[in-house]
Amino acid sequence: MSHAIETTDLHYRAGRSFEIRDLGLRVPAGAIYGFLGPNGSGKTTTIRLLLGLLRPLGGTIAVLGHAMPREQHAMFRRVAYVPERPHLYASLTVGEAMALHAAFHPRWEAGIAAELRRTFELEAGARVERLSKGEMGKLLMLLALSQRPDLLMLDEPTDGLDPVVRRDVLMALIDYVSETGATVFISSHLVHELERICDWVGVMDRGRLVAELPMHSFKNGIKRLRVRNAPAQPGDPPFRLLAREMGDGLAGTEVWVVRGWLPTMTQYFEGVGATLSEVVDLDLEEGFVELLRTARAARR
Amino acid sequence: MFAQVFRLQGRASALGVALVAVAGFLVPVVAVQRAGFVNPTGWDIAEMLTMVESAGSLFPLLAIVLGLLLAVAAWSPDHRGQHVYALTLPVPRWHYVLLRFAAGVVLLMPVVAAVWIGGVVATGAATIPEGLRVYPGTIALRFGLAALVAYAAVFAVAAGTKRTAAIVFGTLVGVILVQALLELAGLRLEVVRYTLVPLTDWPGPFEVLFGRWMLINV
Amino acid sequence: MFDEIDARSPIPLYDQIAARIRLAVAAGDLEEGQALPSVRQLAARLRINPATVVQAYRALAAEGFVEMRQGSGTYVRGVSADRRQRAREDQAQRLARGVLAEAARLGIAGEDVARAVQRQLGTERR
Repeated sequence: MSHAIETTDLHYRAGRSFEIRDLGLRVPAGAIYGFLGPNGSGKTTTIRLLLGLLRPLGGTIAVLGHAMPREQHAMFRRVAYVPERPHLYASLTVGEAMALHAAFHPRWEAGIAAELRRTFELEAGARVERLSKGEMGKLLMLLALSQRPDLLMLDEPTDGLDPVVRRDVLMALIDYVSETGATVFISSHLVHELERICDWVGVMDRGRLVAELPMHSFKNGIKRLRVRNAPAQPGDPPFRLLAREMGDGLAGTEVWVVRGWLPTMTQYFEGVGATLSEVVDLDLEEGFVELLRTARAARR
Repeated sequence: MFAQVFRLQGRASALGVALVAVAGFLVPVVAVQRAGFVNPTGWDIAEMLTMVESAGSLFPLLAIVLGLLLAVAAWSPDHRGQHVYALTLPVPRWHYVLLRFAAGVVLLMPVVAAVWIGGVVATGAATIPEGLRVYPGTIALRFGLAALVAYAAVFAVAAGTKRTAAIVFGTLVGVILVQALLELAGLRLEVVRYTLVPLTDWPGPFEVLFGRWMLINV
Repeated sequence: MFDEIDARSPIPLYDQIAARIRLAVAAGDLEEGQALPSVRQLAARLRINPATVVQAYRALAAEGFVEMRQGSGTYVRGVSADRRQRAREDQAQRLARGVLAEAARLGIAGEDVARAVQRQLGTERR
């Protein structure tokens, strides 16, 4: 099996305004897959569909080879889920929440759970309802990792956590992945956070998957060019011109945002009588913004 | 698995179960006391039994309260988290529902025991005239069954969504309202008799709740 | 040694890590036979994908700076003085390229940058 998650033509509708259409996700096994998108783009809904918490109107879903939602409970033996909003029982203590989780998950490792609890400095006797946001984030990650999953589904796992807690949580996650080679599906609207750890990216916008590609091609593909004497009509460039704007200050200079750039393409500018003065790589966040902009323009 | 679910559910139910258990102990004690069996001043057996019977109507009430309480305690923590935790456990749904249900049944036991002890204590302290017999065991057993029926009914409704609950209770209230309106309009159309009564009379499932509850009888 | 890893830089992360280690070997900070942090340790410490660390170590192994021993870890190999010098020069070249690119963006000529470097060297020697 080469894909941890695979969907085809997934369709879902909630109310009149929100719809997920033609969703085809392919998450390679062993990847750390960043699921990006602005708030309200359908990330959480997609995750809930993948986990069988919502019923699709059409399409197929396979998670670790399990057909969803039919094989939901078999799948949850191998999949850990950290939801966007904490879902633990408030009346339990940390220790009791761990015991409850342990009772249901066949691969639970008590030793690892105990070690993580010490690393995260969580009191066994502390009530779940009294936990701070950071402690809750750590407890959720502890539960997810101690059940030794083959796939982790993390919905905004570090949203609202302070940098120290975020670091601890991500370190534990990466340590687990290094050890086991598990697949991680992690959604976030915090693009920077995913930049370091993900090797695959999927981008959602308004209920659609607008891109899905390895991180390095995502980062390499989109460039910002500074062009002197830019032609009024670009003609037929070898790359895709996503946007062109007036440059800052210097007259006759434009900034072009392009996709599919290769170093040999400088020849094109000589051909049209322009000078390419600079090629800038966009970081993930800028690339993400440009991608959304073109996806939206194309749909108009 | 069961131990963990039981602990979770026990925490949500503990206070309510304790209060109902105290009430379950007190009801027979007070009933026998007030009917005059403890310090008999006269021997109007018929009147005394009527007193016992009227106090006995508290038992089904208590059973319904207990059933309601246990069912709500079984589901309210899950409702609060929109069932996400339970739905993402690696067990089939029916398995989880069964664990929850069983935990409630176990939590019902101490109250049944309290009712039984209350009956035994009350009748033990009483002077029972010739020809009358005491039924603490029967009352406790019937109380247990009644509470179980009430618990099962509310549990089933509470397991569903708010909409299911609204539909069930809406129908119930609707039937009674329609009947009231018909009565007001002077029409003799007995809606309740054909809809609700079959449930509460034998062999309807709620029969156990109704009728006479006699701790002391001939 | 890895404090300045920058995920937002256009230089790939694995390249940044490999460069750090290469320089440390060239400067003699890492000696022959010394063990590099395990993939797991380094990935967790830098909070990066473990595959990125593996990629960096593989690149270094291909260049002959380190040796990946199956099941044991990654160790620094003996590198000739000549080779170490070349690694330093390579890195200096990269730095120069970056500075010139930045200068061009700001409209500063390469000659001006070269003179500035000379002047700076002068003040630091004094």
